[in-house]
Amino acid sequence: MRSFLFNIGYFIKESGRIIRLNLLSNIFSVIGTGLILFLLGVVITGTDIGNRLVVMLNEEAEVNGYFSLELASEKRDALAVKISNMDGVRSTRIVDEDEAKTRMENILGEEAKILELFDDNPFEAFVEIRINVNAMDSVIDNVKNTAGIEYVRDNREVLEKIQDITYALKILGYLMIAAVGITTLIILSHMIRQGIYNNKDQINTLKLLGSPGAFIGFPYVLTGILLTLLGGIIAALSIALLINGAYDSIGGTIPFLPLPVREELIDKMTLWLPAISLALGFFGSLFGLSSIRERR
Amino acid sequence: MIISNDVSLIYPDKTQALIDINIDIRPGELVYITGPSGSGKTSLLKLIMGMEYPTTGSLSVFGKSINNSRSGNIRKIRRSIGPVFQEFKLIEGRTSLENVMMGMRFLGAMPKQMKTSANEALEKVGLSHKKLSRVENLSWGESQRVAIARAVARKPSLILADEPTGNLDYDNAINILGLLKSFMNENTTVIITTHATHLIKDEQNATFISVDKGRIEIERR
Ligand SMILES: Nc1ncnc2c1ncn2[C@@H]1O[C@H](COP(=O)(O)OP(=O)(O)O)[C@@H](O)[C@H]1O
Ligand SMILES: [Mg+2]
Repeated sequence: MRSFLFNIGYFIKESGRIIRLNLLSNIFSVIGTGLILFLLGVVITGTDIGNRLVVMLNEEAEVNGYFSLELASEKRDALAVKISNMDGVRSTRIVDEDEAKTRMENILGEEAKILELFDDNPFEAFVEIRINVNAMDSVIDNVKNTAGIEYVRDNREVLEKIQDITYALKILGYLMIAAVGITTLIILSHMIRQGIYNNKDQINTLKLLGSPGAFIGFPYVLTGILLTLLGGIIAALSIALLINGAYDSIGGTIPFLPLPVREELIDKMTLWLPAISLALGFFGSLFGLSSIRERR
Repeated sequence: MIISNDVSLIYPDKTQALIDINIDIRPGELVYITGPSGSGKTSLLKLIMGMEYPTTGSLSVFGKSINNSRSGNIRKIRRSIGPVFQEFKLIEGRTSLENVMMGMRFLGAMPKQMKTSANEALEKVGLSHKKLSRVENLSWGESQRVAIARAVARKPSLILADEPTGNLDYDNAINILGLLKSFMNENTTVIITTHATHLIKDEQNATFISVDKGRIEIERR
């Protein structure tokens, strides 16, 4: 252990030498590792956004009841009160035609101009019903069967779709983690084998001088960690660029998309990708080393 | 310190390199292993370093058995040995100083102390002025001195030198033997192999192991 601490400088120099000895191949290893970690980052980001959407939509737990045409507008308030007294309903609020239009204008932003093509306001008034999530089914049934309500629009379908997509992303994420793990492992063990082959005379001499295997192997583990970490950093920077670019271009056009805070997402990814790469580098290198038979 | 009982070494190709070797080498001894080329001198050193295992018989070095020992044990034994290989086995692309330090890095010395010892060793072999030269640029004799410096800087209990007089003329051979002997003390055994018996015919206070076709004879004088 003491020998280890005393030789940190030597180990770092050695791993620099090992990297330089096979520079081109090592550069490609870094780029390759960076790319697959980047893909992993994309999938993790997608899963993260999906999860957040599901949570948010669940919290929303809101359905809209559209009024029948026959219903006189004075009776809307009474109906809203009636619905608000139902089991599982937290509150109701009437959104009239004007407010419905304003909301859509906000959503469309720049594109709201197309609404000017209509002579009349094309939007209908509706009652916004906030409910408890677990009572969703019975509330929808009850509201549907209420006189004066034409139809009910809920976000259940959307919710389920997003849930499905998130689930698929999650599976994809696990597959990606497996793929990244295996690929990194192979890249690393190949790299380490090559390094050891290039240095076989030196390694043999060190063995004859009594050097412990860990001392001989550590520079290679360090090299593996450094190269993989470098790949992780490249991946983290690329994903930060991607997130920034995506927010700049999507953020404006779909303001209702409840995206996570940009900085939080970037912070998360720039922390996680290097951390994952560090772990991969460590275990990958150990794996690479252990695949080489320890001889006298 | 080195004790063997009826040790034989047969290589995979059936070469009988050593037959019924019985030796008992004590701390502080000076040992010459002589014999013609191909008689088994290097094979004996390889056994002591655990580079080969006895085919039959038992061998222990520093009280630890060499027979089928785990590689960790062999390495431990090797850390107390200062080997000067016949072909030196210096590490190319590095300076003399780096080579000497390379043999010490895993022995637990502080970096400063390590550097001091390495410099002292190079000084002793008269090669201070070449300490920053890469070893592949050194002459044969200079390389040999770096190899000796690497061996002795480790402060080993046992110095093994295989054919150190091989390529040298009489004067230089005597000088190198003198240098190696100078590292011998009550705690440090020095074992030297040579096929040039005329160089040591007048030596006293030493053990002579003469090898012939794998069999040995021991004389202490
Ligand atoms: N690795 C090996 N495999 C097979 N035969 C070997 C091997 N090493 C040495 N020998 C043979 O063993 C005998 C002794 O060799 P060696 O110990 O090197 O002799 P010396 O050092 O006295 O010249 C020789 O006949 C040599 O050819
Ligand atoms: Mg020999």
